[in-house]
Amino acid sequence: MSESHALKADIAADDDLVTPGRTGWQRFESTLYGAGSIVVLLLVWEIVPHLITISAGTKLFFTTPSQIGGTLWTMFATGTIWKPLGVSASGFSLGLVLAIAVGLPLGVLIGRSRTLNAMFDPFITAFNATPRLVFLPLLMLWFGLGLGSKVVIVFIGALFPILINTYEGVRNTDRVLVNVVRSFGASEWDVARLVVVPNAMPYIIAGLRLAIGRAVLGVVVAEFFGSESGLGVMMVQAAGRYQVAVVFAGLIVFAALSLAMTALVQILENRLSRWRPQHAGNE
Amino acid sequence: MSAYIQGRNVNLTFRPPNRRPVRALQNFDIDVNEGEFLSIVGPSGCGKSTFLNVLLGLAKPDSGDIMLGGKRIEGPGTDRAMVFQEFGLLPWRTVQSNVELGLELKGVATETRREVSQRLIEMVGLVGFETHYPHELSGGMKQRVGLARALATDPDVLLMDEPFAALDAQTRDLMQVELLRIWQEAKKTVLFVTHQIDEAIYLSDRVMVMTKRPGQAKKIFAIDLPRPRDYEMRVTREFNDLKLEIWNELKDEITSR
Ligand SMILES: Nc1ncnc2c1ncn2[C@@H]1O[C@H](COP(=O)(O)OP(=O)(O)OP(=O)(O)O)[C@@H](O)[C@H]1O
Ligand SMILES: [Mg+2]
Repeated sequence: MSESHALKADIAADDDLVTPGRTGWQRFESTLYGAGSIVVLLLVWEIVPHLITISAGTKLFFTTPSQIGGTLWTMFATGTIWKPLGVSASGFSLGLVLAIAVGLPLGVLIGRSRTLNAMFDPFITAFNATPRLVFLPLLMLWFGLGLGSKVVIVFIGALFPILINTYEGVRNTDRVLVNVVRSFGASEWDVARLVVVPNAMPYIIAGLRLAIGRAVLGVVVAEFFGSESGLGVMMVQAAGRYQVAVVFAGLIVFAALSLAMTALVQILENRLSRWRPQHAGNE
Repeated sequence: MSAYIQGRNVNLTFRPPNRRPVRALQNFDIDVNEGEFLSIVGPSGCGKSTFLNVLLGLAKPDSGDIMLGGKRIEGPGTDRAMVFQEFGLLPWRTVQSNVELGLELKGVATETRREVSQRLIEMVGLVGFETHYPHELSGGMKQRVGLARALATDPDVLLMDEPFAALDAQTRDLMQVELLRIWQEAKKTVLFVTHQIDEAIYLSDRVMVMTKRPGQAKKIFAIDLPRPRDYEMRVTREFNDLKLEIWNELKDEITSR
């Protein structure tokens, strides 16, 4: 016992000595290369239109990074971005929050109860196998072109990854742990709270990550297809007017939104995973 | 007068889906007096853990009666606690909050919880590890957390499923002494499952030998060694005679497969 401990300690000590320095440098190096390649790309994109002559007609379809940057700057400075951004963001967050509020408890219930599982399984399988875009015309018809249809579209897209992942995580619950908390008089609610949900958390987080992607997609699709307002609408209208820089600006805002949400989930995951072996070493 | 814990004709068959049913307990009889220390030894897979689970109220027998203090066991209760064979620590909880699990579910105030857990963590020798997670502990340390957790709720009946199996010999000796002290001070009834005949004799008032699966009570040995027991007893003639007798009884069950 003491020998294997000593061995483990040695390995840990070696890791401490060597790895952080190296990973630190490696991380810096890859950041450098990553940022570098982006800068090079932007530079080339910026310069090439000045080197070759493009006909005025073709020019309509193109833009440069500086124009996009300028457009973004103006949009934020004059505040014209806030309204469409606000509409898109509320559609996104309302739909996502609803999907979590429904998908998580439902996933736990279906995972824990054989009866509910049997009842819901055909619907979930069928619904999940159907491409969600098919519902779009119907949803627009029912919920109109305002916030309502957007929220529902986002909700439907985000629901299934959360629901299905939660379900999978719940099915994977350790029976011994359930017995342990039951032996201390835990109710079914306590079992869910103390064992089932924490155990399913890695699955739920993975589902959440997928759901964010689907939610952004939902917003974009809803707004491209027909909405009164929003970033997507702004992009479609700008494209109609050959304002390519505005289209790109919308694209960048969407991308930033997704990245920010993914980063948020990452923070959440790091917080919730402190107890897991693979995370202990990184802290 | 009927015994404190009384099992009569307890039968339990596991019926896993798509597999052969497994008879774990068959006409299992048991009587345990209040305040008694009873050990159970038996071949692996004979139904020892299953019986403890029945007592704990987690497993329902197919037939037979199982009574505790004159009442039929219908489910778990705070009068009983188990030290689980597989430890059963919640991996996302620290040592301290694992120990406090039962108290938390009982609704005990945080301050009292802290006091109790701190005292027990000291007792099992895990001071300094309060904020560690189970994956950061050795097998023996995990087992001691499981022991502290079971003791935290101060149950009348302590069910212990090979609680010292993962401990090194020295810690095991210390824990045995601690357990005897707690048992004597708090007047608990202890059911102790072990594969170590030495340990069973050293700790117990009586030792039950079970048959191979489906488990039945085969023979019960009264251990009339004086108390308090001490380490030297293990080398006495009396002790070793008992050990041999129990081993002979057990051997038949293990070899006749
Ligand atoms: N949940 C279960 N489903 C199906 N069979 C089970 C289940 N639990 C236990 N068994 C079976 O019941 C029998 C008794 O198991 P049990 O765990 O009570 O044995 P044990 O005496 O505690 O053994 P050990 O000394 O190895 O811990 C075993 O054959 C086992 O395979
Ligand atoms: Mg067992």
